[in-house]
Amino acid sequence: MNISSLNLTAIAPQIIIIITALVVLLAELFTGRKSLLAYLSLLGIIVAAIASWYIWNGTEQRLFAVPMFQTMAVADGYSLFLNLVFLVTAALSVLASINYLVRERINHGEYYALLLLATGGMMLMGSATDLMTVFLALEILSISLYVLAGFNRADLKSGESALKYFLLGAFASGFLLYGIALIYGATGTTNLAAIVDFLKGTGPMRGTYLFIGLGLLLVGFSFKIALVPFHMWTPDVYEGAPTSVTAFMSVGAKAAGFAALGRLLLYAFPTLLGDWVWALAVLSVLTMTLGNLTALAQTNVKRMLAYSSIAHAGYILIGLIAANEAGMAGVLFYLLAYAFMNVGAFAVVIAVGREGEPNLELSDYAGLGSRQPLLAAAMAVFMFSLAGVPPLAGFFGKLYIFSAAVQAGFVALAIIGVLNSVVSAFFYLRVIVYMYMQKPIVEARPVLAPPLALAIALAVLGTIGLGLLPTPFLTLAQQSIAMLFGA
Amino acid sequence: MNQLGFPLLSLIIFLPLCGAVVTLFLRKEAVIKWWALIVTVANFFLSLPLYFYFQSGTAEMQFVERIPWMLSLGVSYHLGIDGISLFLVLLTTFLIPVAVLSSWTYITEKVKEYMILMLLMETSMVGVFAALDLILFYVFWEATLIPMYFLIGIWGGERRIYAAVKFFLYTLAGSALMLVAIFVLYFMNAQATGRPTFDLLELQKFSVPLAAQTWLFLAFALGFAIKVPLFPFHTWLPDAHVEAPTAGSVILAGVLLKMGAYGFIRFCLPLFPAAFAYFVPLMSILAIIGIIYGSLVAFSQSDVKSLVAYSSVAHLGFVVLGIFALNAQGLSGGILQMVNHGLSTGALFLLVGMLYERRHTRLIDEFGGLWKQLPLFGIFLLIVTLSSIGLPGLNGFIGEFTILVGTFQANWIYAALAATGIVLGAWYMLTMLRRVMHGPLDKPANRQLQDLSAREIVVLVPVVIFIFLIGLFPNLFFGKMESSVDTLLSQTRATISMGEPNP
Amino acid sequence: MELALFVVLAVIAVIAAAGVVLSKKAATGALFLLLNFCTLAGLYILLNAQFIAVAQVIIYAGAIVVLFLFVLMLLSPGKEESQDRKPYIRVFAVFLAVLMLGEVGYVAFTGVLSGTPGQYTPEKIAEVGNVQAIGQVLFTDFLLPFELASVLLLVGIVGAVVLAKREL
Repeated sequence: MNISSLNLTAIAPQIIIIITALVVLLAELFTGRKSLLAYLSLLGIIVAAIASWYIWNGTEQRLFAVPMFQTMAVADGYSLFLNLVFLVTAALSVLASINYLVRERINHGEYYALLLLATGGMMLMGSATDLMTVFLALEILSISLYVLAGFNRADLKSGESALKYFLLGAFASGFLLYGIALIYGATGTTNLAAIVDFLKGTGPMRGTYLFIGLGLLLVGFSFKIALVPFHMWTPDVYEGAPTSVTAFMSVGAKAAGFAALGRLLLYAFPTLLGDWVWALAVLSVLTMTLGNLTALAQTNVKRMLAYSSIAHAGYILIGLIAANEAGMAGVLFYLLAYAFMNVGAFAVVIAVGREGEPNLELSDYAGLGSRQPLLAAAMAVFMFSLAGVPPLAGFFGKLYIFSAAVQAGFVALAIIGVLNSVVSAFFYLRVIVYMYMQKPIVEARPVLAPPLALAIALAVLGTIGLGLLPTPFLTLAQQSIAMLFGA
Repeated sequence: MNQLGFPLLSLIIFLPLCGAVVTLFLRKEAVIKWWALIVTVANFFLSLPLYFYFQSGTAEMQFVERIPWMLSLGVSYHLGIDGISLFLVLLTTFLIPVAVLSSWTYITEKVKEYMILMLLMETSMVGVFAALDLILFYVFWEATLIPMYFLIGIWGGERRIYAAVKFFLYTLAGSALMLVAIFVLYFMNAQATGRPTFDLLELQKFSVPLAAQTWLFLAFALGFAIKVPLFPFHTWLPDAHVEAPTAGSVILAGVLLKMGAYGFIRFCLPLFPAAFAYFVPLMSILAIIGIIYGSLVAFSQSDVKSLVAYSSVAHLGFVVLGIFALNAQGLSGGILQMVNHGLSTGALFLLVGMLYERRHTRLIDEFGGLWKQLPLFGIFLLIVTLSSIGLPGLNGFIGEFTILVGTFQANWIYAALAATGIVLGAWYMLTMLRRVMHGPLDKPANRQLQDLSAREIVVLVPVVIFIFLIGLFPNLFFGKMESSVDTLLSQTRATISMGEPNP
Repeated sequence: MELALFVVLAVIAVIAAAGVVLSKKAATGALFLLLNFCTLAGLYILLNAQFIAVAQVIIYAGAIVVLFLFVLMLLSPGKEESQDRKPYIRVFAVFLAVLMLGEVGYVAFTGVLSGTPGQYTPEKIAEVGNVQAIGQVLFTDFLLPFELASVLLLVGIVGAVVLAKREL
């Protein structure tokens, strides 16, 4: 082994993000202006994005899809596309945070450092090709998020959120680790490529260890991506955490979970997927249905979005269940679309609140259409997109995923998914009803801070852009999953 | 491919969208109104070449545009019209400026948003009628929901939120299953032919296995039946109509409902001919129930607007009946009746709206003897009412008569039952006319009413012109649709005769 | 000899584990935990895994249990909290435990450890030495996880500071 065989450049995006986190931590000592740290983080995010693009497009073929660190991780299309998702999420969240932190009096530099570290963890999950790396990346991500969830120390709900998230997250990690141990026992390796070789050798014979190990792994991931019935923590955690953190983790953590799960199931265990596919299908149906039905009953917008994000995990799972190229490309596209529309929606929630008044109830949105027409229009775009109305990003995400399910023969699943999006339309529409069709209670017009406005504008742009011109992104997604299917 | 060498359809679709974008930057209300009017009128004149350059002798799609959109999936941006969609496109571009002009004084709040939504509405509706790709069609189809939802929900009457949400969810639920059916069809075709495509013309060549036809037909038909609306899926319609602002009702009745009937002709018939034939009795009976039920309920309404709304249920029943007669008369009568209904019911809603603007009520009992006070209004209401009940010489007669001829050939019992609907229609419409216009002018509030203004006359006159035009020269219209209808039917018959579907 | 040692250590380990669960006083429980960790370390040595044995004693028995005791001293939970737990929770817990036991037993008795042996067989380890082998692997094959673990620790430290420091 020597340094060049580590293939260090291939992991540059992750390294850049983590180093930026360290720089932010240090820089806080020397600057009083915390917004500077936010812009520093943004810079790091942009550089990491450029690095990802360079690896994808670089003439140096040594970087792309070549294992690094003795096959511990890889920078292939799949991981690079996911980098895009994570970096978009992180950038939008940082922009949305700047003034929110000031307003909530929690403006500390550690916030950005933790957010970046979590992003690094997510990116590592996307590129991990060893169960060991998967686990460590997941822990980096999770622990950062536990702390971020409790970042508002003055707020009891934030503390409760952190504690709940931590306890259930640790519980899930236990399942995950136990599953990994059993898989290691059965195959003698934690490396995905080696597992593939091993399974090829054994043919259809599958050990009990492997079967149960994969099951435990699924339970662990189900906790992390909040599938029903492993979702109990989600609403409280999402509601209690600072809104900017909720925006970040509702997309990022979920996408990271799906990223690792996708690689595991489709690349390493395609033969075992058949054993678990019905369990996954049941999980998906439960997740969509319960998430949507419970969201119907919510009057708190933040909590409603929490349940809606549970439901969306159910839709995305359908793409995994389909287990074909269309499905996986659909999952990637959906995650990107989801990053824009969901972070955007939470950014609007931030914008509606004011100092000392979070304004989270639906009635606080009454008359927003006349108070702040642009903000309301942005929220309407996000709501319609989340509901899956064309021609917005969310619609095409659903389109690809459901069509993949039909292709794979899961017509019933597609029908249930479609019916669920009809149910979900009801509570998304309710927000719009309040914004445009109810008389305003308060007449004040809070001024939108420029960074927050920028975040919302970018999110709107992404939501509409992915809807009107889905082709380049879908093609990109299709190219990026080629590796998973052994092309 | 395209006889003009020019993407006219795209221009008609996207001109209003561009107009809407420009509207975003306008500030003065008056400017916005005039701008919207100019854009929509210009769009109407732009759409006229569609009629004049339309070649009657062929059933081919015309004015075709085709650009790959999502290549890997086989989705393309494929537009084109034939004799079936031609008049629906024209109806849309005609009714929108009328609707804009009719809102001139009716809409006082949020004029900018209102006009933007009107323009978006036009884009999506023309798109529905011109799309020849299933996904493109679906996108436009769903996109019509958003502006209509806002039009009802923001500028509607008292129960507007209930009506708007009901409208949105009903139609969304209906079309959701259609989306899955589109996918199933797509993959069946891809498996059989190896060419994945959502293109309607390609998919028409593929004969769907009989067992699957039934289910696919039902999934499509549910979406269309809700939109039409066919009994028993009609309950959203009266709510939506009564609560919608005048222009919203005009568009709803004039164009949106037609999308459902159009869907039956454009998609269900060529794609699933055997299932279509199999379901003729069921659909015809539902249509007849709709005709009779709609008429009876209309008679018992005390609100003029909901009376007109229920009459729509009856009229659309005729359209569906004609379509499911599966012969040339029935089908072309159905298509023409769609246009007729758009004109006459649209005009009825306009008149009701004008009355409401003056009197702020729509209860029939509040009126009476208006003829003395509003003679011009009376003349227009008389013409439109007579057109609606099918007086010979006016448009309604041509449509209903042709449909009945077609139905009679197919099944005389259906025709006989449907004919009672005409009688009932005349009964409730004339009763309404009598109670509103004739009798003593005994309500003091009615004595101060002003007759129609010049603007209102400008709104109504073009509609009335077309009412007479269709009534007197129906062949201007039938001639253009003839070969499309004939080809569609002969193709269908050829497929049906190959076997009956297994239920 | 090995078997005898195993039986002795295993019995002590189980008793100590039961003691952790059953002891009324938290401090006693912590001490039982300490005992359990130490017997486990003995078991590791029997498995020829000296490094893990030492790590077990240093990290778990040394650091973590001491930390527990510190916390217990600082909080001084003199009196037990009132036990208003609902009875069904107990039933459910027992059910889960039995289920877990059954699962583990089932796997242990029916599962076949079919994994392919890697390059470090017991003979090889005996040759180069356990600690050396681990060190070798840790800094070559598992370099990335090793580095990630350090990032993880950093996150933990930052997190602890953020959540616990009186003023940020």
